[in-house]
Amino acid sequence: MLLEAKNVAKHFGEFRAVADANLTVAEGDVIGLIGPNGAGKSTFFNCLAGDTEPTAGTILFDGQDVTNASTETHARLGIGRTFQVPATFEDMTILENVMVGAFMRHPGRADARAHAEKIIEMTGLREHAHLRARSLGTPGRKRLEIARVLATGPRLMLLDEALAGLTPGELQQAITLVRRIHETGVTLVIVEHIMEVIMTLTARVLVFNQGHVIASGKPQDVVKDPLVIEAYLGHGHGKRARKRGPAA
Amino acid sequence: MKEATTSKIAWGWLALAAVFLVYPLVFQSAFFRDIGVLLLLAAISASAWNIVGGYAGQVSVGHGMFFGVGAYVPLMVFTHLGWPPLLGVPIAIVVVLVLSVIVGMPTFRLQGHYFSMATLAVAELIRLLVGTWDFAGAAIGLSGPAIPRGWWDLTFTSELPYYYIFLGVLATLLLVTWQVQRSRFGYYMRAVKAGERAAKSLGVPVRRTKLFALMLSAAFTSIAGSLYAIKTGFVDPESGFGILVSVQMLIIAALGGAGTLIGPLIGAIILIPLQTATNTWFGGGGSGLTYILYGGIIVLLARFEPGGLVELWNTYAPRRWRSGSHAP
Repeated sequence: MLLEAKNVAKHFGEFRAVADANLTVAEGDVIGLIGPNGAGKSTFFNCLAGDTEPTAGTILFDGQDVTNASTETHARLGIGRTFQVPATFEDMTILENVMVGAFMRHPGRADARAHAEKIIEMTGLREHAHLRARSLGTPGRKRLEIARVLATGPRLMLLDEALAGLTPGELQQAITLVRRIHETGVTLVIVEHIMEVIMTLTARVLVFNQGHVIASGKPQDVVKDPLVIEAYLGHGHGKRARKRGPAA
Repeated sequence: MKEATTSKIAWGWLALAAVFLVYPLVFQSAFFRDIGVLLLLAAISASAWNIVGGYAGQVSVGHGMFFGVGAYVPLMVFTHLGWPPLLGVPIAIVVVLVLSVIVGMPTFRLQGHYFSMATLAVAELIRLLVGTWDFAGAAIGLSGPAIPRGWWDLTFTSELPYYYIFLGVLATLLLVTWQVQRSRFGYYMRAVKAGERAAKSLGVPVRRTKLFALMLSAAFTSIAGSLYAIKTGFVDPESGFGILVSVQMLIIAALGGAGTLIGPLIGAIILIPLQTATNTWFGGGGSGLTYILYGGIIVLLARFEPGGLVELWNTYAPRRWRSGSHAP
């Protein structure tokens, strides 16, 4: 397994943001994490990225315990992440932003630049390469975040609502980009609210609600799960779904 | 397009270097040469501060501690050992490197303004301690060689040799900064300034980057202090470790444009003649004017352009004259 999270829990005082969450990700997988707002998926995601230390449980990456490892160590091992609100380096150009990521595996300036240019080409940011990041709109920033992480040469990419806030046209382009990244051999874990993304890209989905994983499986099956429907639509809707029985 | 901009910038630097080289030959009076020396010293200090404060975004309000150590140690080795002050320069650098690790290691674990507060507190503490330390001349301070024993004492009657020594140091510092800003370390400093969380997620060793930036900055600030003491032949707690010493570096870099190579130089070119003019016109009665001037600049920068004059230029100058990386 590339990533194994066992019984991961995160408490903030009395509040249990995540309770006993388990996840296994094999090399080449595309996994989706979904759930209503405040369900605990982002906290779990931050635990996987090394941004938040779990209260309990263990996280193994390629057999190595990374439960309490720093974010930098995660990046060096090959775990890259994007942020829900893009955290681009505003005063640096697009090329410079991507070079920061490239420097991790290419310490020389010329090497880093060549690698960054390749990534910029792949992510469709070439014509903006010498503009400052602050001049980009939301879709551009999200694309830049993906490019920056790609430049670090990750084996596992954690995408935190990287496709949210895009127009239908931009969304299709972004889905194509994520597919292309997956084809290069990068494993993906995606937190997303847009079901189109989850249904199109992921092979397996984990559904969070109130800190617990309430369902997991193929996206087509999970969306029909009464517990999932209840989590999204509220008490009563799940019961009605159960009465109707599984959809054909 | 980018090559054309780069070439324009290179020509600009060459022109500036030529102006600095001929300045003391054109303006031969001691007054103007003194302004030139003061300007270069201020540019060196501000450029040194700029490494950690401008590029890495860790705003030190107590860089006077490094300047003060750099100023005191050469005069200490002269006073107590009879050595040429020049031999104190490398010793001072070692001392400030240790000092920067002591200040940086605990404070860089935290984010926000803790580093600024710590530098301010430590600089004030050192100033008070030195003011009561007999070995360092206590409140009276220390003096350098009144009569030179040889060229190595670097005691000259003319301003000219100081001017060119200071110019050489400034050129070296700018060259080092230019190399650093193009290297991985330079990119990492700017990433840390822009966002620590995002930088960490890209494998940037944030604490180490901040600490190295502080050490490099402290070493050059110490050299600035040494140059000041060797040229003036005197240092006391206020002129070495005083709050104005720290604030001046910050204001000059911020006025020109913190985090840019040219910014501190522009800041010095504007502020030092202005400061000299107010001191000359108002004499001793206007000694508080420097504080008013600094305060006014802080208010103007905070209100209109925190990025300083370089950023102002990049925003309002004709596009073909801007520095390439700015968005349309």
